[in-house]
Amino acid sequence: MAISYWRRRDRYYRLLGNKCSSCGSEYYPPVYVCRRCGSESLVDAEMPNTGQIITYTVLREVMAGFEGQQPLVLGIIGLDNGVKILGQIVDTPPEALRIGSRVKMVFRKIREEGEAGQIYYGYKFTTL
Amino acid sequence: MSRVIVASVGYTKVGDHWDKSILDLAVEASKKALKPYPNIKPDVIIVANMFSSQSSRQEHLGALLANALNLVGTPAFKVEAACASGGVAFNIGYRMIRSGEATSALIVGVEKMRDLDVPEVSLALSMAESAEYTQFIGATFLSLNAMLARLYQETYNVTRDELSAFPVIAHQNATTAEHAQFRKAISVDDVSRSPLVSDPLRLLDCAPIGDGAASVLLTSDSVIDKDEEEVEVLSSKISTNIFSLYERDDMLTFSSTKDAASKAFSEAGISLSDVDVLEIHDAFSVTAALSVEAMGFSKAGEGAKDAAAGVYSLRGRHPALTFGGLKGRGHPVGATGLYQIAELWLQLKGKGGLNQVEGCRVGVAQNIGGVDTTSVVSVLAKGD
Amino acid sequence: MAEGSTTVMKTPKDVAIAGYGVYIPRYRLPSLEVSRIWRGGEEAPPIKKAVAAIDEDSTTMAVEAARKAVKMAEVKELGAIFVGTETKPYAVKPTSTIVAQALAQHKVLASDLEFACKAGTEALQLIIALIGAGMIECGLAIGVDTAQGRPGDDLEFTAASAAAAYVLSKRDHRSIAVVEGASSYVSDTTDFWRRSGQRYPRHLSRFTGEPAYFHHIQSAVKNLFEEFGYKPSDFKYAVFHQPNPRFPVEVALRLGFSFEQIKPGLLNPYVGNPYAANSLLGLAVLLEEAAPNDLLLVCSFGSGAGSDALSIRVLDGIVDKVGKGRNKVKDLLKAAVDLDYATYTKFRGKILI
Repeated sequence: MAISYWRRRDRYYRLLGNKCSSCGSEYYPPVYVCRRCGSESLVDAEMPNTGQIITYTVLREVMAGFEGQQPLVLGIIGLDNGVKILGQIVDTPPEALRIGSRVKMVFRKIREEGEAGQIYYGYKFTTL
Repeated sequence: MSRVIVASVGYTKVGDHWDKSILDLAVEASKKALKPYPNIKPDVIIVANMFSSQSSRQEHLGALLANALNLVGTPAFKVEAACASGGVAFNIGYRMIRSGEATSALIVGVEKMRDLDVPEVSLALSMAESAEYTQFIGATFLSLNAMLARLYQETYNVTRDELSAFPVIAHQNATTAEHAQFRKAISVDDVSRSPLVSDPLRLLDCAPIGDGAASVLLTSDSVIDKDEEEVEVLSSKISTNIFSLYERDDMLTFSSTKDAASKAFSEAGISLSDVDVLEIHDAFSVTAALSVEAMGFSKAGEGAKDAAAGVYSLRGRHPALTFGGLKGRGHPVGATGLYQIAELWLQLKGKGGLNQVEGCRVGVAQNIGGVDTTSVVSVLAKGD
Repeated sequence: MAEGSTTVMKTPKDVAIAGYGVYIPRYRLPSLEVSRIWRGGEEAPPIKKAVAAIDEDSTTMAVEAARKAVKMAEVKELGAIFVGTETKPYAVKPTSTIVAQALAQHKVLASDLEFACKAGTEALQLIIALIGAGMIECGLAIGVDTAQGRPGDDLEFTAASAAAAYVLSKRDHRSIAVVEGASSYVSDTTDFWRRSGQRYPRHLSRFTGEPAYFHHIQSAVKNLFEEFGYKPSDFKYAVFHQPNPRFPVEVALRLGFSFEQIKPGLLNPYVGNPYAANSLLGLAVLLEEAAPNDLLLVCSFGSGAGSDALSIRVLDGIVDKVGKGRNKVKDLLKAAVDLDYATYTKFRGKILI
């Protein structure tokens, strides 16, 4: 996983998606072809790092690799440019989660490959 | 173009088959399907499976099964489309016969899930979603459907008990289905009391993990006479959606199912009221509701409410999940699409036993991969 | 002293602070919790130390602080990034390159520094030197730690997590404060140390006071005063390294400062001791209290041992940059959630599995 992570680290660290030069649509994750107008003329673009919670859940059964991280709070966030993104929501007690709460992006550890392997960083969200 | 007959079916019980490998299960189901027609050597063997590489460190399932069945030389390959693998494999076999490329096809769906522990199964299933953006952050398939369920409840004011209706129907029907994984009825209170796995979804909202294989022998009408008793495939259509749920503008419409269904119904020349039996993809309670809405059997937001009102019960207007569906019969993911076909065949042939839908002539199977990312809708009918 | 030599580091052209950012985790461990587990609940100094969450480490906090600093400074390119820390997530692999990647900077001299609690002010000095020498236009200095104390040890009351980042550049009309000069003083003094491969540091007890903390801070500050001809009353505020609530007060009084001069910068009871971020955090708090033309003294102390004393003059730019709708450090101190000891050990990986 070290290499596939490395390949996308800018995407994870900077919320770097892309934008269609023809019609202005923005995407995260980035696309190969604009879904709205079909253009292949896309440029990298950082997404805004604030938005609001559209829906969320507290996951009590995590997948392999995320042991020790349960419960895991996840949300679909509507960023301020209209792009929807999937992310963990941290530092918020589950009972305080609300649809519509404002959130901002933070830089956190996603997981580690055990004690001796690499550390994978990326984006998460906290409630403002 | 040839007419395509579902000649026979074979399947294993769904459950924890500790003593059977992925190949053991596939062979068992295949032999059952081939047995009634010992003189038919299939022109092609198609294996449907999602994650044999994870569960069994095994790929190349097509040739593996051809060898095991002593059918060396037969064209054989694996088809994968996440949980829609079964439906897609069926679709390909159907098209090969319809086009005249083949006169018979053995389609076998198999999944071995129990050799992995639950977190590993979650990881394997998450490969139906984006590895780089969904799996990377630890979002399991369950969590995506849970977020969808919350949105569904909030948007349409669906209560906990209404959402529980499909699981209750599934379990009710499974009590009299011999091949079902769970044969115990549940109540809406049981669902509400079951542990929260990813709120708002509870344990009993979710299809279980299990092993199983289901097989279908398809032939053209040149091999088997298309008489009134034979079950014919009227149509089968596949569609795809924007890959991840959250990338879609409207997260509450299963547009891939909507598209596949409308094309399948149109080609089959049927309307909704012609459909006597529905085998839908109830991987989660919310998935069942959104599936019937996308196909048009319920209006937007009313799928769960209609289920609660009895519309989809065995004696209701649109009997669904007649042998338990994914929730009650079980969901060995790559095999599910073929279990659905096998169950429609049982219904249309009048072999449904205590689960028989009286006088049924048209059945529809809807099988999805991801959160409606791939959808296959197939229409089967008996008689003319 | 010989003609032309100086023990105070000054640059030919003024180097100034263009922006800064502080990151303090949300969680606090009250010292009473440590005492409850290890000392039978006996009274403990009223300290709540900041604790990084399970998905935070020195790198994540460094990135958060750096992003704030770069945003305040409004710079697009950095020539160097130095991260001072003794709790690197990788013993071999720089945190500074992850910070660089997160800021989309590649043409940088990037490195991690270690000198216990003074690595942050060292990072600052090295950036100043590079700018002063004309080798870079602006640079980023970060002090960050997720400090660890051996369970049950005295240090466990205070060893804390935080990050403070500074962007420096040649002085211009928007600069917040100019660094007039700095004086460093070191000696081979092993008051607190951690051998390679060991999980937790060790330390001597009373020895960490006079021959370590006090000697080095006093030496560095006295040298700075002599070279500049300063006396304590020239300074509006001063902040010294704060390993506990008492030491900085004691050293300030010894050097001739009044309690009023150091009061705004006293943070230990609210945040604990975030090691390499300690003095830089103190400086940030002072900047938020200060007005143009105020003179500030910052003096760090790092075990091993050494001190950096810096004289910093506040400029007009502070009015526009600081506190304009931004969370002040004092607000970050308030946003606190208390932890119990068990959760703290889970967060900080102190449970051996």
